[in-house]
Amino acid sequence: MPRRTDRDGTPAYRFLGVEVTRREAVFLLVGVVVLFIVPDLTTVSDSLQLSVIHQGLLFGFAAVGLNLLLRHTKLTSFGHAAFFGTGAYATAVLARYAGVQSVGLLLLGAIAAATVMAAIIGVLSLRHTGLYFALLTLAFGQLLYAIALGQSALGGSDGLPIRPGPANQPLLFGTAFSPDVYQVLTYYLTVVVILIGLFVMYRITQSPFRNALDAIGQERTRARFIGLPVRRYVWVAFVISGIYGGVAGGLFAVVRQYIRPEETLFFLRSGDILFMAILGGFRTLVGPLLGGVVLVFLQDVGQDVTQYYDFLTGVILLILVYGFPRGIVGSLQSGGIVNTRLGELRREPSVLSTWGQTAVETTERKLAESMTSLRIILFGAD
Amino acid sequence: MAVTPTAALVQTLNGIQFGFILFMIASGLTVILGILDVLNLAHGELFSIGAYTAIGVFGFIIGVVGPPGGGIVGTAVFLFAVIAAVLITAAILLPVGTVLEAVFLRQIYDRDQVYQLVLTFALLLILLDVKKFIWGDSSLRTDAVYSAINTIPTSELVGLNYPTYNVFVILVGMASVVGLFWFFERTKTGRIIRATAIDREMATAIGVSTDRVFTLVFALGAFLAGFAGAMAVPPTAATLEMGTNPLVLSFVVIVIGGLGSLRGAFVGALLVGVIRSWMITLYPPGEIAAPFAIMALILLVKPEGLFGTWGETA
Repeated sequence: MPRRTDRDGTPAYRFLGVEVTRREAVFLLVGVVVLFIVPDLTTVSDSLQLSVIHQGLLFGFAAVGLNLLLRHTKLTSFGHAAFFGTGAYATAVLARYAGVQSVGLLLLGAIAAATVMAAIIGVLSLRHTGLYFALLTLAFGQLLYAIALGQSALGGSDGLPIRPGPANQPLLFGTAFSPDVYQVLTYYLTVVVILIGLFVMYRITQSPFRNALDAIGQERTRARFIGLPVRRYVWVAFVISGIYGGVAGGLFAVVRQYIRPEETLFFLRSGDILFMAILGGFRTLVGPLLGGVVLVFLQDVGQDVTQYYDFLTGVILLILVYGFPRGIVGSLQSGGIVNTRLGELRREPSVLSTWGQTAVETTERKLAESMTSLRIILFGAD
Repeated sequence: MAVTPTAALVQTLNGIQFGFILFMIASGLTVILGILDVLNLAHGELFSIGAYTAIGVFGFIIGVVGPPGGGIVGTAVFLFAVIAAVLITAAILLPVGTVLEAVFLRQIYDRDQVYQLVLTFALLLILLDVKKFIWGDSSLRTDAVYSAINTIPTSELVGLNYPTYNVFVILVGMASVVGLFWFFERTKTGRIIRATAIDREMATAIGVSTDRVFTLVFALGAFLAGFAGAMAVPPTAATLEMGTNPLVLSFVVIVIGGLGSLRGAFVGALLVGVIRSWMITLYPPGEIAAPFAIMALILLVKPEGLFGTWGETA
């Protein structure tokens, strides 16, 4: 049962190691309820589609895993699609060649494959940090993409179906369901998996292991001096984050029942996963998940509205980089930029004109600067 | 599968030709990486913008000069016209690079590296759709240059059937490699850039404006990417997604050669080009995977790449 504790003077509740204040508990409850009623919400409006939100949640879940590396060890992985794809392809191969029908077994296969893959790529790429690490993960991701594309056993560019057995679909609880029911049931499965995954991640971020990772992220040499096995800890974090990607990929395969290399292994998917983490706020736990839903939703809406939806995504990322570096959740939190600005506005509405003026001035200055640079390049001097 | 010596030679030449194109892209990327410390994910888009622009410039120049006339003089005039068109294309990319660096990149040098990746990725997406807006969805091609240059006999003289255009690319590639090394070794600007790469603070102390060097380096990278795009487009077509593959291969080249090493980029580019080209005859499915396999191998044997850090040794 929940136990009452005290955190910095505000009453808090402790349950299964999760400590929340009353406010946070409300948010948590609302979040869980929303996750569970999404299938009903999507019947209300045509613009909301269950499959889109589902896909967003799955990629967002991979981003939650990536966030463990990004947030604590300050390592930017640009190849997380490798694990997503490994999970998806492991599922597809098991279903097609081994005839595995149970969703649980398929997901276990995805986890096993992603763990092995993350272990191998981790050993090879964690010798480096910074950009080198980003490049290496990207290259390994592309290597897997190339393999999936080149091997006819893996379906080449056509991909593979996940339709095992006489029922032509993976079985939940040993039963075959009609497509509609299957879609909703797999969605609930995803929600349960996500909640478990978030809980595990929360426990990790409350553990000494997280402190060690933070220390490594801040200063590797010092971390080694105080006796932390840096390489091994980072490797473990890498494998954990890979497993999240693998689970997401396995679920993606089970839900879609058809996978292609383009949508699972391509390096742009790695980029997507990374930007979901940033978009949602990589200093927060649930940010990446929200970022995933928002990014996939925007891309889907963008595709309907304009053929230039890549431009739209690009502009959103630009706004994010310059205006809201802490992401959606990070900006909305207390102390975030949105709350601060709203507070200023409420106290003194005239601050709005000052903001406008600053914006105009900055733009003018930047333009002048770039014109100077251009003149220097073209004529050699100013 | 039996491979005749002639076929092996042709594949090697193809590889070298591709290697030179790759070097022009990777050299810009590696210099930007070595000095700005930014991995420019939008570099492939600059390459493809170069290709699209080149089609227009080629069309214009050929309209002015006309098809190659008879005799050596006519041929020479045409070749110079093509080289001029390539240089004009590359020059068009200079202001593009300048604006990208001065407006977007300059704001975020002191931020976390992940934001730089997000920013250049955002630029990649934006440039992708800018291309779609300007040149449309379908691929564009220019056959005039390719077929005209191929009428000049070169390899036929030694009894080999090999397109003259590829020989042309190899020659221009060699010239650009020499030019690039000369620029960094011998010119004052090149020395200033290298000095900034070796020690940014010291360079500032002796009066180098790092802002300008950064802009110059990025513009130079854009110039090289545009040059590569213009050289690469005649035999094929300009497509929207043509930037992706060279970009990723350039990463491989950079890792093989050593981060920020120009010499490493040269060796890496030729290595990747030739091996990739051999794979096409020996084992086609391995074509895409081979460069990454080499990269993994190099990393196991020599994690810092074939050549160390660029700057002091160029």
